Amino acid sequence: MEGLFFNVNGGFVEGIVRGYRNSLLTGQNYSNLTQCETIDDVKLQLGPAYGDFLASLPPNPSTSALAGKMTDKLVSEFRYLVAQSVGSTAKFLEYLTYGYMIDNIALLITGTLHERDTRELLERCHPLGWFETLPVLCVATNIEELYNSVLIETPLAPYFKGSLSHHDLDELNIEIVRNTLYKNYLEDFYNFVQTHPDFSGPTQEIMSEILQFEADRRAINITLNSFGTELSKQERRKLYPEFGNLYPEGSLMLSRAEDVEGVALAVSAVSDYKSFFDAVGLSQGGGGLGGMGGGPADGKSLEDLFYQKEMEMSKFVFTRQFTPAVVYAWMKLKEQEIRNVTWISECIAQNQKERIGNFISVF
Amino acid sequence: MSGAVGREPVFPTRQSLGLMKSKLKGAETGHSLLKRKSEALTKRFREITRRIDEAKRKMGRVMQIAAFSLAEVSYAVGGDIGYQVQESAKQARFRVRAKQENVSGVFLPQFESYTQEGVNDFALTGLGKGGQQIQRCRETYARAVETLVELASLQTAFLILDEVIKVVNRRVNAIEHVIIPRTENTIKYINSELDELDREEFYRLKKVSGKKQRDNAAADAEILAARKKAEAEEAAGAVAAAEPEAAPEAADVLGEQEDNDVIF
Repeated sequence: MEGLFFNVNGGFVEGIVRGYRNSLLTGQNYSNLTQCETIDDVKLQLGPAYGDFLASLPPNPSTSALAGKMTDKLVSEFRYLVAQSVGSTAKFLEYLTYGYMIDNIALLITGTLHERDTRELLERCHPLGWFETLPVLCVATNIEELYNSVLIETPLAPYFKGSLSHHDLDELNIEIVRNTLYKNYLEDFYNFVQTHPDFSGPTQEIMSEILQFEADRRAINITLNSFGTELSKQERRKLYPEFGNLYPEGSLMLSRAEDVEGVALAVSAVSDYKSFFDAVGLSQGGGGLGGMGGGPADGKSLEDLFYQKEMEMSKFVFTRQFTPAVVYAWMKLKEQEIRNVTWISECIAQNQKERIGNFISVF
Repeated sequence: MSGAVGREPVFPTRQSLGLMKSKLKGAETGHSLLKRKSEALTKRFREITRRIDEAKRKMGRVMQIAAFSLAEVSYAVGGDIGYQVQESAKQARFRVRAKQENVSGVFLPQFESYTQEGVNDFALTGLGKGGQQIQRCRETYARAVETLVELASLQTAFLILDEVIKVVNRRVNAIEHVIIPRTENTIKYINSELDELDREEFYRLKKVSGKKQRDNAAADAEILAARKKAEAEEAAGAVAAAEPEAAPEAADVLGEQEDNDVIF
């Protein structure tokens, strides 16, 4: 029933995205890429998928230039989707860009805090996180001004409200600000897909699952990365999104965890995460510092496993119909693809072929 | 060779001969000392060259690993963290201390790196994702910078030693090929001059003694002649045949005197 009228508004966008999905690199493409000897070969192999976007690159481009061009393609495709979407789908797509906006705003806040010329930073902003009032942020010269008159105008204002004061912006580490915003964003997004009447069907199911996973992943990562830093347990706890498979018991245990074992114990209630921790063998924290890339013997880190899981979930989204969630899945897949290609070309450029296979391909 | 070196402008006196001899001795001691210094420095220099070679190879490896770990970070974080790291770094964690080392009178600067524990300004970077990779990358780069510092200290020592060895070698060569031959030349010159003086002195003495001998001989002859005359006058009446004999005898004495003159 829920699919009856979906195509009236969202059908075209969904169709386009399924077309985009077909242009994603497959395992065959990746094995061709790994055979390349130079970046030029990589460029050639990417030709069918990226076409015009790579044409303007000079011979033997740097990996960052390559990644930049690939991102450009993602951005232009996404902008096309945004232009074609209406109603709740448009709102959904807007939510997708908030994550990038948070990064951009964090960048500008950093610039303002250190009294740099923030105009130069605009170029560094992620194009997907661009919004009309972003350049206005540069007008503010101090944090109080930024908070009181500029941030209010941004789409992210609700995320600041209630959890961050302008004193926090000044005193807290920018990473904490960023992660607080991200937590609020995830909760808001989750709430949005849960409650919006248009998304009552497959979208709600899919997005809930994906966002819960995202929330758990962030909570676990924040916990793991905060070991050995000045981040206290209370502060850490405030950064955990308040939903997800781990919430509330797992989150509570995570907030009390003091080492990797504690984290493993906290997540053991969820079988997926438990298997991840078993796979990497708890060697994340201590052993990782020794060898480069260190960590587990099979070359997969916890982070890799999370990415892998995310990609699997994104892939399965395409088995569902009548939902804008495919856009989310496509974006995640595309981003992973850009990371994969960057990794492969880095390996080729630096002549370190032994770990070239360390990318994640799901097709 | 020795002709080109010339000699020092001194008066050929015994005093300056003594001075020159002590100068030669000093030059020889200095030469052997400097030679030893140059050898010690060269030894050190070779060792440093070898270590620079090692350090450069090590740097190649370490920098490669470091660059790769940065690639890992960009894979894990999926974005640029450069700006955040730049902005959040306020205190140096990795510091360099300079000391001096004395190698046979040459002060070589030595850089020593150490990490200020507890300073970790961007510990929270990548909190959401990739934090561990970032910290690992930081460790790798810290090791890379350590190698660079080591290399820098070696290179500086290399340059300074090179300069010093050149100077020392120049001194050694100057002493060996200029100062010592010149001093020897001067000593030879003074010796020859002194010999000349000796010979002149000897001649003068001889001449004086010859003159004295001649005067004595003349006086003797006169006395002898006077005595003979007296005897002849005494015997003139008695012996008439003896008179013609006396005249040629006197002429003979004169002739002998003449001859002596020529010989002297």
